[in-house]
Order: sequence, then C-alpha cells, then structure tokens
Amino acid sequence: MVEAKTQLDVKMKVVDLDVFYGSFQAMKNANLDVPDRRVMALIGPSGCGKSTFLRALNRMHDLTAGARVEGNVTLDGVDIYAADIDPVTVRHRIGMVFQRPNPFPKSIFENVVYGPKIHGERNRKRLLERAEKSLRAAALWDEVKDRLNRSALDLSGGQQQRLCIARVLAVEPEVILMDEPASALDPIATSKIEDLISELKKQYTVIIVTHSMQQAARISDFTSFFLLGELVEVGTTSEIFTRPKDKRTEDYITGRYG
Amino acid sequence: MADAAMVNAPDVKQDLSRSRARGRRLVDAVATLLLWSAASIVVGLLLLFVAYLFYKGASVVDWHFLTGNPTAAQAGGGIGPFIYNSFYILLLTLAFTIPIAVSAGMYLQEYASRGRFRQIVQFSAESLATVPSIVMGLFGLLVFVEAFHWHFTALGGALTLTLLNLPAMMRVTQESLAGVPATYREASMALGGTKWQTIVRAILPSAIGPLTTGVVLIAGRIFGETAALIFTAGASVSYGRSAYDPSVWHTAETLSVALYQTHREALVPDADRIGNGAALVLLVMVLLFNIVARVAGRRLSRRLTGKST
Amino acid sequence: MVGFRASRAHRDERIALAILMACSAIFVVAIALILGFLAINGTKLFFQDHVSPLAFLFGTTWDGFGGHYGALPFIVGSLVATGFAILVGGPLGVAIGVFFSELAPARIAAVFKPAIEVLVGIPSIVYGWLGLTLLVPALGAITHTNGDGLLAAGIVLSIMILPTVISLSEDALRVVPNALREGSASLGATRWETISRVLVPAASSGIAVAVILGIARAIGETLAIQLVLGNAPVLPKSLLSPASALTSEIIIDMGDAPDGSPFRHALFSMAFLLLLIAMALIILIRLALRKRT
Repeated sequence: MVEAKTQLDVKMKVVDLDVFYGSFQAMKNANLDVPDRRVMALIGPSGCGKSTFLRALNRMHDLTAGARVEGNVTLDGVDIYAADIDPVTVRHRIGMVFQRPNPFPKSIFENVVYGPKIHGERNRKRLLERAEKSLRAAALWDEVKDRLNRSALDLSGGQQQRLCIARVLAVEPEVILMDEPASALDPIATSKIEDLISELKKQYTVIIVTHSMQQAARISDFTSFFLLGELVEVGTTSEIFTRPKDKRTEDYITGRYG
Repeated sequence: MADAAMVNAPDVKQDLSRSRARGRRLVDAVATLLLWSAASIVVGLLLLFVAYLFYKGASVVDWHFLTGNPTAAQAGGGIGPFIYNSFYILLLTLAFTIPIAVSAGMYLQEYASRGRFRQIVQFSAESLATVPSIVMGLFGLLVFVEAFHWHFTALGGALTLTLLNLPAMMRVTQESLAGVPATYREASMALGGTKWQTIVRAILPSAIGPLTTGVVLIAGRIFGETAALIFTAGASVSYGRSAYDPSVWHTAETLSVALYQTHREALVPDADRIGNGAALVLLVMVLLFNIVARVAGRRLSRRLTGKST
Repeated sequence: MVGFRASRAHRDERIALAILMACSAIFVVAIALILGFLAINGTKLFFQDHVSPLAFLFGTTWDGFGGHYGALPFIVGSLVATGFAILVGGPLGVAIGVFFSELAPARIAAVFKPAIEVLVGIPSIVYGWLGLTLLVPALGAITHTNGDGLLAAGIVLSIMILPTVISLSEDALRVVPNALREGSASLGATRWETISRVLVPAASSGIAVAVILGIARAIGETLAIQLVLGNAPVLPKSLLSPASALTSEIIIDMGDAPDGSPFRHALFSMAFLLLLIAMALIILIRLALRKRT
C-alpha cells in the first residue's frame, strides 16, 4: 500500500479500489490516504485513470450506466459505498468542480444558492448571506455583486468556473474534488483559480486532477501519479518531483511519456 | 455507523446515512413512482385499445368481409373496394410526395447556400405542417373539386394528401441525410465527384435505411387519413360506379372514410358490425406499417452500407 | 476528354440544382395558395354577405339556413376541448418524456417506445370509433348522462396529443448537456431535484414547443371529436352536455351548405379561423425557440 508519509489526520481513505466500465477495468487496485486540509494532486498521462479515480470518491459513477466500483472508500472512517449510505448525502459532503464550467442556465444568485436550497434553506436573508460568503471565498464577489440576477451564462469562462466553485462552497462540503478545473481557461483565469485553491486548503480538503505538472507543483502538498489504470506512487509533492521512487514516475516527470 | 463517524471526526456536521435526507428521498421516490406509472398507463391504454378492437372486430373480419362489396341497405356487406381505394390513394400520394419532398429535403440539407430562400422554404414547410387536415380538405375542395371541375376524384384526394404529408417527408429526408457521416461526403468530393454525384452515389444510399423507415411510417398516416378526403376523394362507392376503377378520375371512398360514413349515414342494419371490422383492419394496417418500417429500415441500411457505394 | 466530362458533370449539377429548388419552391407556393384561397373564401361572409365579424365571432346562434352565423359555440367548444387536452395531456406527456430521457432502463424503453409510436400511427377516425364505442358509453354509465360532450372530446384529444408531447419533450431534455446533470448531482441533489430544478427549466423552450405543437394537433383534430361531441350547435352548458367544435361543425354542415350561400361562407370563415390559429402557433414556436438562442 502506498501511503502519504504524514502525521496528518486522514480525511479519506481508499482501499483496493477497482472501477469497471462494462467489462473494461479502468482502475486497478488503487490505495490512497488523503490528508485533511491539504491539496492532493492526481497526475498522469491522458487515459491513465485519474479522473475515473476522482469520480469514485463521491460516487459519481453511480450515474453512469454500466460503471461498477469495487473496494472501499471511507470518509472520516465511514465507507461511502456501504449499503446504508445515501449517495446524495455523500455528495453533499464531498463537492466536485468539473473540467468545463457547468453553471446552470439560471441567474448567478440562483446558481450559488442551488445547493443550500435543495438542502432545505428557504430564508432569503440567510441565502443571500450564504451566497455572498461563498462568492467572496471564490474571489468572485467583487465582479458580480451588482449583477447577481443576471444569467450565469453571461460570465466569462474563468468567472463561470469560479462561480461553480462558489456553488460547491455554498453547500459547505468538507472535501472538494476538482477535475482539471483550469484546463478550459486562459492563463490569467488559471492563476486566479490556483490562488483560490491555495486559499481553500485552510478549510477544505482538496483533491485535484491536473494535466499540468507545473500546476501540481505550484499548488499541491501531495501528489499521486497514475499510469494505465494504476496508482503508481504517492508522496509529498516535492518528493514526487525531486526523488520519485518508481522508475515510471521518474520517466513521466522527466518527460518521457506524452 | 454514526458513532464511528463521530469518533473519527468530531467536527462532522452530519452523518452519511439515509436518515438525514429522508424527506427528500421520499419526494424522489414518489416522483419516480409517478413517472413510471404515467408511462405504464399510456402503454396500458394502448394495450386496452388493441385488445378492445380485436375483441369487437375479430369475429367480423373474414375473407368475405375483406373482399366483398358493400351493400346499400342490407346486412352482410364487405369492404373490398374501400381497401382497394385506400391503397390506390396511398400509392398515388406517395408517387407525388416522395420525389418532391426528397428533392426539397436534399436541397435544404445539402445545398443550404442561399440562406434566405432556405429560411422561407423551411418556414413554409413548418406552416404547411400545422394546417389542420380538415382545412386542407376544404382547400382541396376549392381547387381540385371546384376550380378544376374534377369533382370527387382519387387524384384530387391524393394531391390533397400530398400537401398534407410533404413537410413530414421533407423532415424525414433532412434527418436521414443529416445522419450520414461527414466523412462520406468528404471522401466522395475528394475523389473528384461533383456535389450532385456525391449526393446520389454516396449520401442517398447510406441514408436509405432511415429514409425507408420514414416513408413507411408516413404511408401509415396517409392510409388512415380521413378528414382531408371526405370533400376531395368523396364518399360514394355505393352509388353504383365500378368499385375497382383503375382511373385516377374515379370517386374513391377509402376504408377510413367508410368507417366514418358507417357511423354517420349508413342505411345497412349491421353498421356497427362493419364499423368494428373496419376499425380493426385499420389498426392492423397501422401495426403492419410500423413493423415493416422497422424491419425494412434496418435490413436496407445493413445491406446497402455493407455493399460498397 | 477530361474537359468534356467535367463540363457534362457541371451541366448535370446545374439541372439537378434547378429541379431541387423547384421542388422546394412548391412548399412556398402551396402555403401561399392555401392562405390565399382560405382568406378569400373565409372573408366572403363579411365582404359579400355583409355579416359583421363580431356577429360571427361572438354570436351564439347558429342556424345556417335561417341566417344566423354565430360561431361562438364552436370557438368555445374547440378552446375548451383543446384546453382540457393540454391540461391533462401536456403534463402527462412531459412526465413521460422525462421518464424516457432520465429514468427508463434501456430494456423498458425498447418496449415502451414502439408502443408510443403505434399510438401516433392509429388513425384519428379509429380514435373516434374507440371514443364512440368505448369511452362515451363508459362516461355515460359513470355520470348518468349520454356520455358525449366536451369531456369525452377532451379525453380523446389528451390521448391523441400525447405522442407529440412525449417525443418532443424527450428530445428537448436529451439535448441538455450531461454536465448539468452531473453538476446538480455533485451538489447533493436527488434525481428528482435535478429533473425539476435544473433539467426541465433548461429544456423549457423545447418543452414549450412540444406543448404548442400538441395544441396545434388538438385544435385541428376533426373526426375523433366529431364522433364523441354530441354535435349540438349551442354554447355548452357543462363538460357533459352535447357540444360542437369548429372542425366538427365544418364536417357536419359542409355537405348541406349550398354553393355561394352565406351558410357555406361561414363554414369557410371557420376554416380560415382555424388556419389563423395554426399560423399563430407557428409564430409562437418561433418566439419560444428564439428565446433559447
């Protein structure tokens, strides 16, 4: 088992995870401890299974017909795949930001308060407070505070992605999963998102898939390397980038894979 | 389970078990149940209709009923000429509809260069598609029956049905052509084919499957159409004309029109019996058209795309 | 040799294009002629027979041979039957569209969808026959009336518009990007919350089009409702009293109305009114779709 060398609390623990799409096995026997309130980067070449791994952490595979997950994933010691666990509640506590911004075709305000509303908050004043707090935390408040009722689709791509982050924060999750959140954005918008992630780890556990090694180096505390459906190696980010233990990790870091 | 969570993380705001979102899960379950019931009710209705029509009509339909001549005022009449007229008008209508609508569909889908003309045609087609069939029937009455002095004819009926079905046929053509991969076009054009050669030799053959399905489904609609025919093709077989008339100028009461007339002004004592039989025959025809559409469409597209084109 | 063949191909191309354009033009000419003929014949009642349009639209007495051309009973009949169909068949159809798009397992869809397609194919005269021999007696037994009237017509129309509403609202939901489903689920929404709060609103313009086309189908339907309406040319007193509609009255009276008579002109005015309603619905659809882009 590969473990992050640390005395930190373990927020999520993955044990012997397999993911199948029909008869194709996309993830083989992955094991990982995710430390609390740190940024964990998942890197590897395209098709290595890092997104598949990420989507197993909040039971998104439940939505895909033909996808099957085996093994254990625990959040604070509780197996999120156990029979009496509600995937809806799992996703309440483990939020997700996607590769492409996916705001709902509603107003900016309605996007942010979507989560709180479905979880039962109806008081308009408290919803407004929650929206402001989340938008501030996502570094978007100043840009949108005068046009909260405008359509979210009018925002730029970078703003939309920060809105999607604000939308997740408004649910007050404990873990935030990010699937290449900056891949569709320009460099300026990307750096804003990266600053934001560094800020978020004070309160949240962040697990981020990235195709950019530079990005992983800049923002993460821990890095895990995936290849061909396997989790090859995990360690502190500086270890992985300077002294990888596995030959395959080294080859990737030094640019011998695409 | 909740205890374990508490021990490991004292600041946990909520546990993960189902109980937390019980109310919302209940709403979700009820909604799911309702959606399933809605779909099941409609399928159940269809089964009810089919069962009812068979129950009422099965004892009526026999060879004599299908081929016999209708009678004016005594029991025991058949529906032979009506079936003949239905197929006659169907084929005539298809002979007009297919060339015109397929051409227009090809134009809109493949030669969309002139934006304005395209928009006008598209808008006209949409408008034509919403003209109620009774209104189309009155138009046919004004033009074919009265202005052209044709009186009630199979041709006038077929032309009216052509107007009614052109938009659907054009749409089917557009959708079939749109389903052909762009690589087919590029391949043919790259080999030096003109656009027309590309369409005729590469695109149309690969679209033949869905096109056939569409044609057969539209044929089913034409076969059952009634309102547009009453004032154009007429309702007067029993007036003593030759029932199986090959001329396009003959008055042609179709099976669906006959079913309507049966209720409205039949003099025969067994009108209900004939109605039940005719309704069953119409239903069976529709089922046949549906099955043929599926099977033929699938077969044709397999054969023609398997063969090199 | 190559030059000759190229020019022949070029000529073929031009001829083909001319034929295709001519066929396309038929659509334009056809709708123009229909509008023209119906407009001329549909306004003779006002211009030639000097019946006021208000007397036609709001008059409640219909007596073709007696000089009364009030079409309000039929307008009300058409609107009530169509309204009933939309209130019942609209939500039911959208719900089934949601079912096919979001819930139905592939194996169930493989059975249910062909069933819905058969439902589209059943001729309206057969629906009328079913209404006449199955529905009307049943309603009569339940309500202790004759059973015919606007309720029966509304029920028949509800079923007849279902396939249109189902398939178009399903299409509208299917084009909603999957990213929105995942986004909603990842925020802890249940499937129903995702459907009701994200997907249906996102597909609203397409669903509106589905419902409008349902209206178009219902308002133009003739034989299916003529057989169950009871055909009384009076303002309906209740959903269970005999009534008539624009379409059904045309089919009943057309054979009797003498050529060139105001009676006949009034029937054409009713047909023209139906055509105008259909055109208005097309424009409504255009507006609904424009909102989306």
